[in-house]
Amino acid sequence: MIEFKNLTFKYRAADENALDHISLSLKQGQWTSVIGHNGSGKSTLVKILMGVLTSYEGEIVVGGETLTEENLLSLRKNFAIVFQNPDNQFVGSTVEDDVAFGLENNGVEREEMVERVEAALDTVNMLDFRTHEPSRLSGGQKQRVAIAGALVMNPDVLILDEATSMLDPKGKREVLESLKRIHGMKETTIIYITHDLAEIDISDYAVVMKDGQVISQGDVEDIYKDIDALESSRLVLPFTMAMSKALSDGSYMSYDELVARL
Amino acid sequence: MLSKMLLGRYIPGSSVIHHLDPRAKIVCVVLFMIIVFFANHWTGYLLLILFVVSITKMAGLSLIFLFNGLKLILILLVFTFMMHLFFTKGGIVLIDATLFTIESAGVVQGVYITIRLAMLILITTVLTLTTSSVSLTDAIERLCRPLKTLRLPVHEIAMMMSISLRFIPTLMDETEKIIKAQSARGSTFMTGSLKSRMNALTPVFIPLFISAFKRAEELAVAMEVRGYQGEAGRTSYRVLDWQYKDTLAIITVIIFGVFLFMIRQ
Repeated sequence: MIEFKNLTFKYRAADENALDHISLSLKQGQWTSVIGHNGSGKSTLVKILMGVLTSYEGEIVVGGETLTEENLLSLRKNFAIVFQNPDNQFVGSTVEDDVAFGLENNGVEREEMVERVEAALDTVNMLDFRTHEPSRLSGGQKQRVAIAGALVMNPDVLILDEATSMLDPKGKREVLESLKRIHGMKETTIIYITHDLAEIDISDYAVVMKDGQVISQGDVEDIYKDIDALESSRLVLPFTMAMSKALSDGSYMSYDELVARL
Repeated sequence: MLSKMLLGRYIPGSSVIHHLDPRAKIVCVVLFMIIVFFANHWTGYLLLILFVVSITKMAGLSLIFLFNGLKLILILLVFTFMMHLFFTKGGIVLIDATLFTIESAGVVQGVYITIRLAMLILITTVLTLTTSSVSLTDAIERLCRPLKTLRLPVHEIAMMMSISLRFIPTLMDETEKIIKAQSARGSTFMTGSLKSRMNALTPVFIPLFISAFKRAEELAVAMEVRGYQGEAGRTSYRVLDWQYKDTLAIITVIIFGVFLFMIRQ
């Protein structure tokens, strides 16, 4: 379990807090979507968790252990993150070289490395591309390679920071399919950062952020029902939700209910 | 055009050159850089061209492909040729104009130096096209290992070189995108005086630099979260395995160099 307790953070040049007294509990094996507009603090939250940003107030507890500078490196081994732009994450000049980068840094023996690289690429259906140049792949393929690079570390927690926002619908679908498979296979905890409400369907739990604060959290259906909170958080409602709002008295209708109504 | 540039690109393949140990390839390229200066007449230069063309063929790369990818370098070659054409004096006067004279020594020297430079560019391009940046890093690191006794951060330097190479195509793509975007907004890069063309490039360089710094920052974060902390405790996915063929490659280059030295005039 990951717990954020009263977390507050402010960027050096900023007037306002990027995170303002955030308290959250994320369960092991759960797919949690963190949703919010640009600048709502969702990326800041994971950057603090990964130890990229420090000097925060409050406490982060991972598996019962409070995150400190001393245990950051050992705890971080349980986490892996995939960022928005895969082109800025690649170090290796072939797919397999890049996937192996994290293992090399952790001093994993070569024989084990070969097996793990192969398994990670297989999981995201990119094994046939192992000798390809990452920069020459499609957007969805690049992001799947980046996910393999994260997955190869056997993380307990996989964080995706707007990992599909630069992709076309096909690439987005490819990445989400891979993630579903990973989540189903290993029960990896997934923290999925997005500003697209239509993408949170597949998650178990969702957290809505606005201006550095959590304004709503709960099961996805509960989040969908709270249309006012979603609208106030400056998020664009998916077409079905906007339609259901227009057709009803403003309350939430599930996809099936909407189809039946239409 | 920029996206076709080969500088910093790696083309995966299974040729003899691809399979050579990267250390052997680097040593061969360094030897070739010395050997190039042994050629001092047309036979030597012809042999140099034949040697490089053979290596290119052995690497499974077509000359047209290389030519297309190195078009921008042609500007440098033409500039080198022109400098010699106008400023190297000697031999018969071929053209005697009011502002300049062109003499035969200038033409000969221009051709020779341009060939020398072109061969150096081609051979180093073949090296980067057939060797992944990770292998290059490993090889540079191993070859420079003795320098560690002088406390030089060999691994870090090799990693920086490798990442620089890896990002050249990405930045070229970015440049092309910015040029297209600025062209769509009315900027012209191909017309006007040299000064106005230089000025027109300012709106290209500013976003390019901003983007390069942003990419560098994101890459640094990505490397850090993937556990990169310099050389300490690192293992390697790529195993460098020196074989008989690697020694043979170096011997071949040395023999070629000795031969070129012997036929000097």
